[in-house]
Amino acid sequence: MPTSSSRSARRFGGSVAKHATLIAVSVLLGFPLFWMVLTSLKTNPQSLAVPPLWWPHPFVWRNYPEMLSAVPFWRFVLNTLMYAGVTIVGVCVSSSLVAYGFSRIRWRGRDVLFQVMVGTLLIPFFATLIPLFTMYKNFHMVGWYLPLMIPTFLGSSVFSTFLLRQFFMAIPESLSDAARVDGANEFTIFSRIILPMAKPALATVILFQFIYCWNDFIGPLIYINNQVWYPLSLGLNLILGTYTTNWPWVMAAATAATAPIIVLFFFTQRTFIKGISIQGTGVKG
Amino acid sequence: MQVDGQTNKSPAAPLTVASARRRGSLRSPHRRALRLGLLFVSPWIAGFLLFFAYPFFATIYYGFTDFNGVGAAHWIGFTNYVNLFHDPLFKTSLFNTFYYTAIELPLSTVAALGLALLLNMNVRGRAIYRTIFYIPSIVPLVASCMIFVWLFNPAFGIVNDLLIDAHLPSPDWFFSVAWSKPSFILLGLWGLGQPMVIYLAGLQGVPRDMYEVAALDGASAWKRFRYITLPMISPVILFNVILQLVLCISYFTQAQVIESADPGGPGTSTWFYVQYLYEQAFLFLKLGYSSAMAFFLFVISAVIMVVLFRSSARWVYYANEQQ
Repeated sequence: MPTSSSRSARRFGGSVAKHATLIAVSVLLGFPLFWMVLTSLKTNPQSLAVPPLWWPHPFVWRNYPEMLSAVPFWRFVLNTLMYAGVTIVGVCVSSSLVAYGFSRIRWRGRDVLFQVMVGTLLIPFFATLIPLFTMYKNFHMVGWYLPLMIPTFLGSSVFSTFLLRQFFMAIPESLSDAARVDGANEFTIFSRIILPMAKPALATVILFQFIYCWNDFIGPLIYINNQVWYPLSLGLNLILGTYTTNWPWVMAAATAATAPIIVLFFFTQRTFIKGISIQGTGVKG
Repeated sequence: MQVDGQTNKSPAAPLTVASARRRGSLRSPHRRALRLGLLFVSPWIAGFLLFFAYPFFATIYYGFTDFNGVGAAHWIGFTNYVNLFHDPLFKTSLFNTFYYTAIELPLSTVAALGLALLLNMNVRGRAIYRTIFYIPSIVPLVASCMIFVWLFNPAFGIVNDLLIDAHLPSPDWFFSVAWSKPSFILLGLWGLGQPMVIYLAGLQGVPRDMYEVAALDGASAWKRFRYITLPMISPVILFNVILQLVLCISYFTQAQVIESADPGGPGTSTWFYVQYLYEQAFLFLKLGYSSAMAFFLFVISAVIMVVLFRSSARWVYYANEQQ
């Protein structure tokens, strides 16, 4: 039995090496967040100690209420939620219609047009920005979220359309055929049969749109100029610029902005990972 | 059509098409489908024309004018483009963006693929590791910037403290001319969750029996990676490289946010192309000049994309096409 035991020992050793590598990388990737939370619980002098103090002593929880009242943090959150809420409706409505037209109906030029749509992803955002801004300015829409909301009702979220199309294509054609035989028109098939089946895909779209809005910086930076309407991203930027010397507050703000997203991620991990993987599967299509 | 459908249930669809063909009215169902298809796609078509096609061509036009946001735009020919090439900040910002892209693109590709390979190992608790590896990329970008400016703070940051303990040089990172761009690259390498997950899906799509056959033939781990894994996932590599490239070319948010922690920054070493464009357009209202910059950016990225797609014919392997 010496060979078998040495083999199992080698396997054990290999497994230890694998875990050691994985743990080392985990520590490296997790450390910035760990340090963010620790710093947010220190007093200001503690955070500036040289050499750095590793463990807060004592834990200063009041950084959070102080930071939250020093800036209109909840207002930023509320603005972000409103931005996310409206655009989620826009994306769900328009992207599902467009995705349906790109997948469940066969028509001449469909695939060329779809390629054009995907191709727009390769064009830099700034290549079209200046005339857009001028246009919105002429319509007196600059200053609030309309320039960021309206396009979502017109299929601007290519990612969502792409994802929904992938999902729609996997639904057997016979379902639509059966409904057509029963006299259902295309819109009824879309709204009564296909869309209800696509709930998991819609959940993914909603999730990604929410995260997109929570993180979006460039859009609001260009169109929102009144602090009252700042979303979280601009609010955080304001905090960073204002309290550069108060790192516990800055880190408390970063933690407060990050924690909800991480909690959301824990509950929706599968939806998340699947949504991203689907992007990759489209590559070979 | 409806009568046909009601008489013979599900095989009705091909039958009606066949009978329509016999009657010689081939075009009408096609036209109906075209109308329907366009109807469903019409929101995007409207959006494309209004928010994409129009501003794209308007950008080209503005680039040849002295447009400043108010008043009329006057045609000034190539003046903006001539001025661009005499503008030192334009050159600096272009160079900085190239520098960042040239280093970040290969590094992020290797790192994201490496993380995916680690997660693809057959060990217990893979899901936990995957979660930890992925989390940095969902941290709001502005928060990531805050964290990194603090970690790499020259005087009070933990990174420099650890470097000093290890008797290594402790640069000023984001605040130094030489180290600012590498700092941004490190920040970029922290949030690779998305390409990592796409690589992982690609790796899991490689047929297992290929590895088994290769192992029986005595192929080493490296050879299996080089001659099976890499060709099989090459379409995914192309996809991720394109995604990263788009992000690199329009690099903006991180540079803009970190500048607010240190107004002025380390000279012009952290001026990125799009940042300069933004400043010219929205701070100085030189909309004609910045439109020229925007169109130039489009041309550069289009050239890079074309070169990339051309080269991909040589290194991307599509399994379906080989049959």
